[in-house]
Amino acid sequence: MLNMVERLARAMAIAGGLVLTVLVVLTCTSVLGRGLNTLSHSGLLPDALGAWLLGLGVGPINGDFELVEAGVAFAIFSFFPICQLYGAHATVDIFTSSLPTKINKVIMGFWEVILSAIIVLITIRLFAGLEDKIRYGETTFLLQFPIWWAYAASFAAAVVAAVVAVYCAGARVIEALTGRPVLPYSEGADH
Amino acid sequence: MSMLELGYLSFPILLVMIFLRAPIGLAMMLCGIGGLYFAMDGTNMFMSKLKSETYSTFSSYSLTIIPMFLLMGQFATVSGMSKALFKAAESFLGHRRGGVAMAAVGACAGFGSICGSSLATAATMSRVALPELRRYGYSGGFSTATLAAGGTLGILIPPSVILVIYAILTEQNIAKLFLAAFIPGILAAIGYIITISIYVRVYPDAAGTREPVPMPERIKALIDVWPVLLVFGLVVGGIYLGWFTPTEGAAVGAAGTGLIALVSGNLSWEQFRDSIIATATSSAMIFFIILGAGFYNGFLALSQVPQELSGWVVGQGYSPWTVLTLVLVFYVIFGCLMDSLSMILLTIPIFFPVISALDFGMSPEHVAIWFGILVLIVVEVGLITPPVGMNLFIINSMDKETPMTHTYKAVMWFVTSDIVRVILLVLFPAITLFLLPN
Repeated sequence: MLNMVERLARAMAIAGGLVLTVLVVLTCTSVLGRGLNTLSHSGLLPDALGAWLLGLGVGPINGDFELVEAGVAFAIFSFFPICQLYGAHATVDIFTSSLPTKINKVIMGFWEVILSAIIVLITIRLFAGLEDKIRYGETTFLLQFPIWWAYAASFAAAVVAAVVAVYCAGARVIEALTGRPVLPYSEGADH
Repeated sequence: MSMLELGYLSFPILLVMIFLRAPIGLAMMLCGIGGLYFAMDGTNMFMSKLKSETYSTFSSYSLTIIPMFLLMGQFATVSGMSKALFKAAESFLGHRRGGVAMAAVGACAGFGSICGSSLATAATMSRVALPELRRYGYSGGFSTATLAAGGTLGILIPPSVILVIYAILTEQNIAKLFLAAFIPGILAAIGYIITISIYVRVYPDAAGTREPVPMPERIKALIDVWPVLLVFGLVVGGIYLGWFTPTEGAAVGAAGTGLIALVSGNLSWEQFRDSIIATATSSAMIFFIILGAGFYNGFLALSQVPQELSGWVVGQGYSPWTVLTLVLVFYVIFGCLMDSLSMILLTIPIFFPVISALDFGMSPEHVAIWFGILVLIVVEVGLITPPVGMNLFIINSMDKETPMTHTYKAVMWFVTSDIVRVILLVLFPAITLFLLPN
């Protein structure tokens, strides 16, 4: 079970990471295009070269930031499952670290249950947001793509996050009740 | 209960939750949601906020810079540049007394210019420099303390994830904040180098010696670090000159460090995957705190607590400098307990209006930038302050032979250097504001 959940969480993170990487490349291309376009208009280049470049249509990618916004939103939602599974959320453990392990397990289980409830709530409300966007047919300003597409992608990632969060909560509760380790990771806030 | 009382009541509740080990983002979110529930007498307000706030936070253009900077830092850690930087610094400084430790600080400063995170800088540089320090006979505690302190340069020297968050919270210009962080960052490195040279004179046994490196080799080692200079210059210069937005700058930086890693042959699929996983956990952690802070600050603003508090402080007629000192002391103490980012997100919405309302004889923008740099430095002091500084743990875990107490003892020298620097920067705001255009 853990194996499957971990594979799912890692696959999701890598999907988000690949989207992020594509956005990096897209943004750099756009910056380069804009730079060349400015250069061609500036008269610093030989006329023929400038005209040739402009003829090729070099310039910024239209609506690049809309893609960045939608893509990063998806990436962040896809990053949640792995953060959840590796217990990477920032916490302050100096006051609880002196308590017995058993109590710490109970505390961790308690917060994990609440955290998973909040993530499930966020996912459900995101769906309500998605329905709104479909109903009103809102589109982005430049590219005119329906915003609900971006919501739908994020919602799909959020569903995975919710599933993993519930699994983690269950695992932590079992750990607290039986004392048997289920999740191999606890600490890991690295930033 | 009035809104204002509700707002004040939320502080202790939040702190208790955090100290009981609630994830910080979750604690802020619960307080925000709870506050909105009681304030609005029902769930309507936060349920409708939840419908759009998560997506709009995660897709906010100004925040898209964060995963990109994190990716840039992750690529930087696998790029092999940490090794090249250390080699270059060591070839120039290594033969001096305490020189290998000084080189480690210099290399940390260089690495900080392509990585925006302290813990990543500390961990990456330790992997390279710790074995060398031990090889040349540097004592365990001194070596780990040097690297823990050097690691804080990762966040002081731009680009810096924390400064980005501060800029967004206080609506300041990111390029100007990066520029303002530059001199304090260099001062930090110089301060640490002076600390090292004093330390090795007080404890001559703490450092070994080594042969000087011939000049041609030094030049060669220096030339090897050009990609770092190029990426740093392009990112920070490009943002500052307005060639691109900060997010675009971060994308250029990520592509830059990614290319260095790729060309040097260090970016295998496994490395790429690990970089993504590390970026993923940090990004999700940060965005969850930002989301929680969004809800909590939304509630606080509604309760009018920040305005009320700043009005009260101004009304008390305390000298602005007293208030500033108290705030900074608060940050040093809390910085020992909490990670810097959560601290900033939690406290800036409350403290910033207070500081802005005071008269320091400077323009509001200058006060905002100066205060941001000061806060950045004092929360970083927390990272290396015993007994709980996070950098200390990261590095000590990499050197099993050195007991934590040895690191604690040696690091106090660096903490002292930090405190001296903070005092200097408080007394002379011009040091921070020097590079800014009028």
